Amino acid sequence: MNLLSIAPTLAQGPMPTEMGGATLFHYLLVSAIMFGLGLIGFVTRRNLIIMFLCTELMFQAAGIALIAFSRFHLNHTGETFVIFVLTVAAAEAALALALVVLLFRRKETLDASSWQDLKG
Amino acid sequence: MIEKIFTLWPEITLFVFTCVVMILGLSRSLSVRRLCAPLSAAALAIAGVLALTTTPDAKGALPHLPLFVKVLTCAVGLVLLLQLAGTADRGYETRVARGEAFDPLRSTRAEFYAFFLFSLTGLMLCGNASDLIWLFLALELTSLPTYVMVAISADRNSAKEAAVKYFFLGALGAATFLYGFALIYGGTGTTDLQGIHAALSQQMATGGINSIAMAGLVLSVIGIAFKIAAVPMHFYTPDVYQGSSSGVASMLAFVPKTAGFVALILVLATVGWVSTSPATHGQLPEPLHSLLWIMAALTMTVGNVLAVMQNSIKRMLGYSSVAHSGYMLVALLAGPGPEGASLTRNGLSAVLFYLIVYAVANLGCFAVLGCLEKTSSDGKSEEIDHIDDIRGLISTRPLLAWVMAVCSLSLLGLPPLLGFMGKLPIFSTGLAAGEIVLVVILGLNSAIAAYYYIRIAKNAILEQSPVRPAGEEIRDAAVPARQFAGIIAGLGTVVLAIIPISSLAIDGGTFRHSRSGVTNSPAQTLPAPVGSAEPATADAPTGPVADATVPPTIAR
Amino acid sequence: MINASALFGSLLANVEVSSYLPILLLLTIAIGFAVTNLLASQLLGPKRKGNVKQSTYESGMNPVGTARKRFNVRFYLIAMVFLVFDIEIIFLYPWAVTFPSLDHEVSNSGIWLGRIVFFILTTVVAYVYGYRKGVFKFD
Repeated sequence: MNLLSIAPTLAQGPMPTEMGGATLFHYLLVSAIMFGLGLIGFVTRRNLIIMFLCTELMFQAAGIALIAFSRFHLNHTGETFVIFVLTVAAAEAALALALVVLLFRRKETLDASSWQDLKG
Repeated sequence: MIEKIFTLWPEITLFVFTCVVMILGLSRSLSVRRLCAPLSAAALAIAGVLALTTTPDAKGALPHLPLFVKVLTCAVGLVLLLQLAGTADRGYETRVARGEAFDPLRSTRAEFYAFFLFSLTGLMLCGNASDLIWLFLALELTSLPTYVMVAISADRNSAKEAAVKYFFLGALGAATFLYGFALIYGGTGTTDLQGIHAALSQQMATGGINSIAMAGLVLSVIGIAFKIAAVPMHFYTPDVYQGSSSGVASMLAFVPKTAGFVALILVLATVGWVSTSPATHGQLPEPLHSLLWIMAALTMTVGNVLAVMQNSIKRMLGYSSVAHSGYMLVALLAGPGPEGASLTRNGLSAVLFYLIVYAVANLGCFAVLGCLEKTSSDGKSEEIDHIDDIRGLISTRPLLAWVMAVCSLSLLGLPPLLGFMGKLPIFSTGLAAGEIVLVVILGLNSAIAAYYYIRIAKNAILEQSPVRPAGEEIRDAAVPARQFAGIIAGLGTVVLAIIPISSLAIDGGTFRHSRSGVTNSPAQTLPAPVGSAEPATADAPTGPVADATVPPTIAR
Repeated sequence: MINASALFGSLLANVEVSSYLPILLLLTIAIGFAVTNLLASQLLGPKRKGNVKQSTYESGMNPVGTARKRFNVRFYLIAMVFLVFDIEIIFLYPWAVTFPSLDHEVSNSGIWLGRIVFFILTTVVAYVYGYRKGVFKFD
C-alpha cells in the first residue's frame, strides 16, 4: 500500500465542497513542499533569522499535515497535537529571538559563518 | 486520563520546586540565592523517593521503563548537581561581593538551576510517555532548557556560539521527528502508542505497513538521532561540548541522550521486533532495520575516527559520545530478543544498562576537567581542555588523575571496570541477533577507541609533569563539590563493576518485551534488579546529598 | 516509494480545472483593478515637481533622524513575555468549550476546574519571575 493508492480514496471525512475537491493528498503535498523548502533553506542560507524561519516553516508543515490527517481520520487528536505544536513553536521563537539578540550584540552580524571559534 | 495524573508525583514535585527555585534565585539576599542548589538537591531526592514508591508499571511492552528512567534521572541528577555547582554566576557573584548592586536581569543562577530541573522533569516524562503528543512535549521539555544552559554556562563567545549551533540543529531535529510523528498519526489514525502498536500489527498482518506510517517512523528515528548525537545529526556534538562548561557538557551527554534512547525504544516498540517464533531473535521491519544498521555503523566509525585526531579532551569526549551512541544503537537494533531473555540477549536492557555505564564514566572525566583551571590567553581563568593540561596530573593531584584514568578506561571497556560490564551485553545481543558484520565493526571501533582513551589515561597517570611557565600553571577550581562528583563517578565505575550480579540481574523480567501486551503479574513487577544496580551509583558514595534518594534495598 | 512522475500525474488527475475558475477570476479582477488605477493616475493626474513635492511627508512635517534606529532591548523582552501570555490563551479556548458540556452533577468537573486553575497558576509564576527579573520596568 503506498501513498498514491490511498490518495484517491481519501475523501473519508466529507471534505467541504468550497475547497474545490481538495483531497488529503493535496494537503500532504503542500505540507511536504513546505517541509522540503524549510529543509533546503536551512541548509543553504547563512542568515540566522532566515534559518530560524526555515525551522518554523518545517514545524508548520507538520501542523498542516496533522490538521489534514485529523480531518481524514475524523478525530480531534491531530488538532490537539497542533495546539501543542504551536506552543512549542512559540517557546522556540522566544528562545531564538533571545539567542540571536545575544549573538548580534557580541558581533554585530547575523551571518552564521562569522561564528567559527569552534572547529576541528 | 485522570489516573494518569496520579502517576506523575515525582514530576509534579520537581515542577513545583523548579518554580520555587526560579523565584528564590532572584532574591536580593545572597543567602536566599544560595538556597537554589540545596533546594534542587532536595527536589531530586524527594522525587526519587516518590518515583520508587508511586511509579506504577506501564502498560504494554516495557512495564518497568518509567520506574527505571525516573530513578536513574534522580540519582544521576544528584551527582550532576554536584558537578554543576559554581557554574552559574561565579563571575557575577564576585563582582556583587565587591559592592556592585545586584541586578536580577544580569544574574543567571535562578534560570540555571530551574532549567536543569526542567530538563530532568522532561526526561522523567519521557519514560512515562504513552502517547506521541506526550512524547513530543517531553522531548522538547528536555531539550529547550539545555540550549539556554549552554549559553549561560560560560562567559565567553564560544559558549554562545555553541548554544546557537545546538539550538538550530535541535530545532531541525525537533521539526523532523515532529513531522515523523504527524505521519505516524496519519498512517494509523491515533497518537496513543498502544493504539499505534495495534494498528501497525494489523497492517503487518494484512500486507505490510502503510507507507505513510513507515515514512513517519523513519523520519522520527532520524529526528531523534539529534538527541542521541547519532550520525546524520551529530555535527553539533564536539562544538557544543567544547563550548560549554564541563558540568553542562556532561549533563548534555546524559540527559538528552537518555531521553533520545527512551524515545527511540518507545517509537520502535510500536512497530516491534518481529520474530518468526517465540524462541528466536526478532528483527525490525525492513527499511527501519537497514536505516538503524547504517546509522549504527557510521555513528561508531565517524565518532571514533574523528576522536583520534583531537587534542582537546572535551572534543574527544564529544566524538566519543557520538561513538557510544553507535554502540547502543547496535543493541537497540538487536531488540528485546526472545521472551524472558536475560541481559546478555535482551538488547533493550543492554541499552538501558549502558546508559548508566556511560553516564557514570563520562561524568567522571568531565568532573576532573571541571576541577582544574588555567589562565586563558585573554587573562580570564577557564577550565582545562587540552590534552597536555592533564599531563603528569598524578604528581600534583593523584586522586583526580586516578579518577580520570579509571573513567576513561571504563569508557574504553577495559575488563575489570564497569564499562566492560556494559559492553559485554551489547556484543552478546548483537551476536544473538545475528548481526555479525555489525559486531565486527563494533570490535574494530573498540580497538580504534583504545588509542585515545589510553592516551588520556597515560597522560594523566604515567607521564611526568612538564615544567609550566609562570602564569600557565594548572590551578584547582574553588568548587570542592566538583571533586566530590568526580570521586563518586570514579568509585562508581569500580564499585558497580565489583557487583556484576547487580548488573546482570537486569534481565528479561525487568524489560520484558511481550507480544501479548500487558505483563502485570506481581512476581514480575519486583524492580529489585533495577533498584539494586542503579541506586548504588549515587547512593553509596553521594553522602549528604543523596542519602534520602534510594535505600539500598527496595521494599515494594 | 513515491515516484515523481506518478505523483504529478495523479496530482493533475485530481485537479478539476473548472473548480479553480473563481480563483482565476478573482486574481484577474484584483490585478486589473490595481493596474487600471495606476494607469489612470499616470494618465490623468497632474505632474509637477518641486522640493516640497518630493519630501517624505507632503503635509509639511520634516522627518527627524534616520529610519534605521536601533530599538531598546526592552522591546524584545516585552515581546518574549507577551508570547507567554499569548500562548496561554490557546489552551483556555478548548477548555472553555468543553467545560459547559460536562455533567456537573456526576462527572469530575472539580478536577477539570482544578487543572485549568493549576495551569493559570503557572502563568502567575511566570509573571512573578518576570516581575522580579525587572522585565516590566520600562526606564
